[in-house]
Amino acid sequence: MRRGVLKFAPLAIGSLVVACMPLLVDDRYLLKVLSFVAINVVIVTGLALLFGYAGQISLGHAAFYGIGAYASGYATTTLGLPWIVGLIAAILLSALGGVLLALPSLRLKGHYLAMATLGFGEIMRIAFVEAQPITGGPDGLGSIPYPSIGSFEMSAPVGTYLLAWGAAGLTLLLATNIVRQRPGRAMRALHGSELGAMACGIDIVGLKVRVFTVSAVLAGVAGSLYAHLVGFVSPSTFSLHFSVILIAMAVLGGSGSLAGPFVATALLTLLPFADAIIPGLSRDALALIQDWEADVYGLIIILVMLFAPGGVAGMLRRRRRGAGVRP
Amino acid sequence: MSLLEVRDVTRRFGGLTAVDGVSFDVHEGSIKAIIGPNGAGKSTLFNVLTGFDRPDEGSVSFQGRELTGERPHKVVLRGVARTFQNTQLFEEMTALENVLVGRHARTRTGFIAAALRLPGTGTEEKLAREEAARLLRLLGLESWTDSPAADMPHGLRRLLEIARALATGPTLMLLDEPAAGLNHAETATLAEALYRIRDAGVTLVVVEHDMGLVMEISDEIVVLDQGRKIAEGPPRLIQKDPEVLRAYLGQEDEDE
Repeated sequence: MRRGVLKFAPLAIGSLVVACMPLLVDDRYLLKVLSFVAINVVIVTGLALLFGYAGQISLGHAAFYGIGAYASGYATTTLGLPWIVGLIAAILLSALGGVLLALPSLRLKGHYLAMATLGFGEIMRIAFVEAQPITGGPDGLGSIPYPSIGSFEMSAPVGTYLLAWGAAGLTLLLATNIVRQRPGRAMRALHGSELGAMACGIDIVGLKVRVFTVSAVLAGVAGSLYAHLVGFVSPSTFSLHFSVILIAMAVLGGSGSLAGPFVATALLTLLPFADAIIPGLSRDALALIQDWEADVYGLIIILVMLFAPGGVAGMLRRRRRGAGVRP
Repeated sequence: MSLLEVRDVTRRFGGLTAVDGVSFDVHEGSIKAIIGPNGAGKSTLFNVLTGFDRPDEGSVSFQGRELTGERPHKVVLRGVARTFQNTQLFEEMTALENVLVGRHARTRTGFIAAALRLPGTGTEEKLAREEAARLLRLLGLESWTDSPAADMPHGLRRLLEIARALATGPTLMLLDEPAAGLNHAETATLAEALYRIRDAGVTLVVVEHDMGLVMEISDEIVVLDQGRKIAEGPPRLIQKDPEVLRAYLGQEDEDE
């Protein structure tokens, strides 16, 4: 019983700190940066299910993020529909995209799947530029309203912060439930041996379609949150660059874990906004970090693959195992 | 009544006929062995029987219903489980988790039910864990419950794969060289386990190279050579069959 309480203590304290953050700090910039962390947690949790559990790679996740952002933005601005309708549109359209991207995954593996998803991401990025009547083309789509239900508006920074972290918390809870039960084991089995999975009665075609769809929907929800937080979306946000950052977070986080990718997402999201958490950081130092941001991400992927293939999750597991042995 | 009916199954790969018009029956409650030299078509036949491959000609029926052309997971749902010549375990998952994946076919919790912990999911999970633990005990693997499959010794890994196949709730189980790489003691343990499984009501088909084991456990033997069935019968007759001896010891004109 006491051990059970202890196990949940960090989680409870963490949630409390996150929830009370707007009361503790009165810094618009910091709250906005922390909202970005929450949004990235939603999308990387989806990628962790796809990549870290089911072993399927996607270099096109920025596209689902974009689909969610534009669907939500278009519905609430041009069509003048309520926020919740925008969110539902984001979910439905990203789910459709997920099913479409799942089709190549049924035939392709490894590098070939990576190339196919990369192609999907590029096609969607070009579509965002070209579909001017909907997306606003290269100029983007502006004046997207804050999320609201009836007359209750969740405005920046506090309202959107709480909404984003609420979504992140809910995502982590649902994903934890999935990975601890039958579907989670089936995903890990798929990763371990496709032949073995088939011999256990797993419909691997259906499973891949489901995992891609779940992962795409989470990216779409994140995109919708982003659009309403920032109020403006343009194609440059949904480039290959962002897909690679997401993969970096998933790789650094480690496979077969949700906690690892969570920690990795927080670290890598905060990196280019280091000035928000380190008050005394000089402007030159920040500029240096931002200039080299992409290189840092690339370097992280290489270093993790070489020296710590288990990522953050592997380190957490080792610590736990080490602690378990102690009398 | 025969549980499995194999009729004129032929499978070609380009110019090679790997399985050539093979027919046989498997009777309920028996242990049937399929033997033959390397390249005789045993593994191809296994893949055809379990939906991993399709025959070019012929048919397979199980419990009187067509099985040919069903996808592998559907074959498992029908009650036909298999193991592999090269074990296909989930290396990073524990022994218990491996067997739990085997319960997949007999459980239902999907993504939405799991995410929302809908009523019934907890009970189903608990029952699946109890069944998995029971199967680990049946095969003497309970002390490895929480060890990753990758950490287990070779002989026990083969038993784990059998436990996983049993978890799918089969009526018929096909084992592809279960004794490959096992020492004497491990083979004895395996034989004992196979008897226990048969006594629990599971019919067995075993592809095997270990003649000692085959002669000991099987009720009937099918002998394949170059894709064709050259003999079928009880062990003591197969041992004396001139055609079988020739296939195994080489043709006379090749001898010195």
